[in-house]
Amino acid sequence: MNPKRKAVSIAAAGTALGVAGLAAIAVPAGAGEAPELPPVSAESLVESVLRADAPALSGTVEVDNDLGLPAVPGVPALDLESARVYSDGEGRSRLALEDGASEHTIVLDGNTLWNYDSATNTVTRSPVDRAHGERPLGPEGERMADPTRLAAEFLRTVRESSTVTVDGTARVADRAVYELVLTPKPAERTLLREVRVAVDSESRLPLRLSVHTNGTTEPALRIGFSDIDFGAQPAELFRFTPPEGATVEQEQQPQREDHMRDEVAGDVVGEGWDAVFVGQLPAGLLDRQAPGERGENVRGLLGQVGTPVSGEFGSGHAITTKVGTALVTDDGRVAFGAVPQQVLTEALGTR
Amino acid sequence: MRTVSVDGGIADHPLSPPTGPLAARTRGLRKTYGPTVAVDHVDLDVPEGAVLGMLGPNGSGKTTTIRMLLGLVRPTAGEATLLGHAMPDEAGHALPDVGALVEGPGFHPFLSGRDNLLRLAAAEPRLGGGDIPGAVDDALERVGLTAAARRRYRGYSLGMKQRLGLAAALLVPRRMVVLDEPTNGLDPAGTREIRSIIAELHASGVTVLVSSHLLAEVEATCTHVAVLHAGTVVAQGELAELLETGNPGLVVSTPDTTAAMEALRGGRIPSRLVPEGVRADLTAATAPEVVACLVRAGVPVHEARRARTGLEDLFARLTQGETNGEDRPERDGLSDVVETDGEDT
Amino acid sequence: MTTQVLAGTGSRAPHAPTVRLLRAELHWIFHRPRTLVVLGLLAVLPVIVGVALTLADSPGPPGDGPGGEGGGSLLASAAGNALVLPVGTLAMTLALLLPLAAAMAGADALAGESAHGTLRGWLLAPVSRGKLLLVKAFGVATVAATAAFTMALTGMLTGLVINGGGTLFTLSGTTLSFPAAIGKVAVAAAWVSLQLWAVGAVALAISAWTEHPMLVVASVLAGIVLFSVLGLLDALSWLHPVLLNDSWQIALADVLRDPMPLDTLGEGALRAACYLAIGLSVAYARLTTKDG
Repeated sequence: MNPKRKAVSIAAAGTALGVAGLAAIAVPAGAGEAPELPPVSAESLVESVLRADAPALSGTVEVDNDLGLPAVPGVPALDLESARVYSDGEGRSRLALEDGASEHTIVLDGNTLWNYDSATNTVTRSPVDRAHGERPLGPEGERMADPTRLAAEFLRTVRESSTVTVDGTARVADRAVYELVLTPKPAERTLLREVRVAVDSESRLPLRLSVHTNGTTEPALRIGFSDIDFGAQPAELFRFTPPEGATVEQEQQPQREDHMRDEVAGDVVGEGWDAVFVGQLPAGLLDRQAPGERGENVRGLLGQVGTPVSGEFGSGHAITTKVGTALVTDDGRVAFGAVPQQVLTEALGTR
Repeated sequence: MRTVSVDGGIADHPLSPPTGPLAARTRGLRKTYGPTVAVDHVDLDVPEGAVLGMLGPNGSGKTTTIRMLLGLVRPTAGEATLLGHAMPDEAGHALPDVGALVEGPGFHPFLSGRDNLLRLAAAEPRLGGGDIPGAVDDALERVGLTAAARRRYRGYSLGMKQRLGLAAALLVPRRMVVLDEPTNGLDPAGTREIRSIIAELHASGVTVLVSSHLLAEVEATCTHVAVLHAGTVVAQGELAELLETGNPGLVVSTPDTTAAMEALRGGRIPSRLVPEGVRADLTAATAPEVVACLVRAGVPVHEARRARTGLEDLFARLTQGETNGEDRPERDGLSDVVETDGEDT
Repeated sequence: MTTQVLAGTGSRAPHAPTVRLLRAELHWIFHRPRTLVVLGLLAVLPVIVGVALTLADSPGPPGDGPGGEGGGSLLASAAGNALVLPVGTLAMTLALLLPLAAAMAGADALAGESAHGTLRGWLLAPVSRGKLLLVKAFGVATVAATAAFTMALTGMLTGLVINGGGTLFTLSGTTLSFPAAIGKVAVAAAWVSLQLWAVGAVALAISAWTEHPMLVVASVLAGIVLFSVLGLLDALSWLHPVLLNDSWQIALADVLRDPMPLDTLGEGALRAACYLAIGLSVAYARLTTKDG
């Protein structure tokens, strides 16, 4: 062959290789073929999920949200995108949240919950009372005395308002999964169309949860593993020693969630998909300083992000998202649920 | 025997092809850059051991031909052979034995002359690793740059730069050396040095191909000459014979040039005035006929000698042949030479 | 026709040892004043950044929350941390300065040599054009790696001098042993080198097409700016994975996490390898076909 032509063909091959590589990077891996799995009933699938122990694993959890939350001026959007998760299967775990070029590291070493923020070089340590079960990543299995009975009970409750099916198989994080689908019964007045849970065919660990709303094809919320590896994890992942020069803060019980419960008192009205939480905001909250940089109070902020509504219950502001609606009345009552606004006003009216 | 060939005449007019081995040869060489034809139909023969001067005005295709011969440029058509190897595809075989200075010296300004040569020597296949410093120092000495060897190239004069380029061509004992306009920018002393180096190379049997647009340089150094014009070889052969070629003439010294001109016109012999007297063209008549014609007309003839055309005359006629001279009506220089070539001897 | 032609000298073409060519190339590169000045400035940069961070003495606050990514906010964690300084300055300079240094090396390698008429010298020696590209690519790669590793070294030393040996901890709060810290910084420098090789390969490809070194540097600069702008447009998110600098500002932070997540780094490395293959192929095609 002509040396010139030979050189050009070598170069063309090299270029083609490079372009193919780039294309491989650019084109998402795709869901691939749905795997062939033995059929399973919804009952036995739910039971096996409840029976399963969370194994030792490492993985990356990704959150896609298209909730349609209103943008609050001056407040950074909630955009947790991914977190790396490690668990030793025995109650110790580690969570790494990337926040730009810094990182929040949360380590549960069995007795202490460490929360490290690299941007401020600050460590917060919180004692964990195991008896109260404050275990962010602990296995669920231990509390379940009899998974079979529990599963039956769970399904019975759920089936009052929903259709539960196993909708074939799929691949999540390169693992074969069953798709468990909960669909609201026609009588349910909800914004949601269905909730899908992808269950690993081997470990029976839920690998992905997606919430679909009426009128959209993409899920409004999807949280799940983008990759996962089962197997023993190095022990040093579940220990934490504050680095030199870090500020260490000791946090006392009770935990923050308990504060919330003390402050927002209320009840759940209704059952199933159209259940609505109706409650009373803590006194004076509406006139407090709102988060963010504008220096407004909460009431002013509500005026910006919500739409004014009025009815039998009085008047207030409604905040509508794809997956739910919240309504805050001017006199400090609050109602929210995965329902259209009308259900909220009815719920408020019943009280 | 003549070894003059003109304008692709080798194929059409098998006059007298060069004998002996050729160091370089091209056939039908053509190079176009887009619509521009740089070189066309170049058939060049460089006999082994010759010093061939490639003569032509700027833009006549000398450098392009040399670049194709050296494998730097791939011909659009035709073939080039250097030391028996097809160029450019077998450049790896031919070039180790060829030293070249093409398109002026090319060196890095921030390196010393010696470091520049060391860098080039590292790429010389014929040099062993241990021989490099010695070869570099020898080459520097040969071109008279030893004193300036460790100065940065940036500070070199034009002549020193040219000599460093020559040193690069002489790093290794070569079978052939190609020098493109080697005396560019040199003072007379530098020009003489180049000439003596070419003479040394010739004496040691090295084939030299040297291009120039200066006739005197070629006349002074070359054994062979090839004249390029507008991208083609219009004449080539041994220098001595080319010097005698051209329109043969007889220069007659006479006090009465007017009478001489009239007499020759009467004898239908083309002639013109030259400083020494009258120059009669010998294409239509032989020398005895010219003298006889003049004597019959009673013109006093002091001296008659064969005109030595000179390469200059040839060069001027070949390269400016578009304008008709009075001694070659309705013919351009090219065909003129072809004819004389055939008739002579 | 009785013309004889001289016989050839053998079937295998003689050639100078490649190692000798590589050594000559390095000698040339590291005797070029401009290269030395650029490498020197890059080496001093981490010292300046380290001193400036110490004088400013503000270990936080973080950037403007998420989105304030990049070397800048990575450097927010560099005060008081000897490990973050070298990687942070690498991330900062990878945005523009380091690629420009690689582009400059690529520009000098072919276009600069053509401009001086020096490429001809080696072609006539002869050095085959494929080997010429090999030697040139080696030279550019050496400059790029030297820049990255020199910065990593001076950054590490500065961090240790300012903050002390006990401050080698990751973004995850893990305190590292000295060898482990060296390892992390070396990984960062190696990854940066690979990215710079990709830039250098593209620069070589452009360099093979022109005789104007500044045109090469300007083209690479324009490319980086263009890619950065394209990377900011959400509407073009499908295009982002093929932009060479897509992960430049986030991947290096991953080196400082413990355990080190490999997906972004790996994808960035693969992307760089693709650019490397394309750049060298185009350079090879041009170099072997162009007139010397």
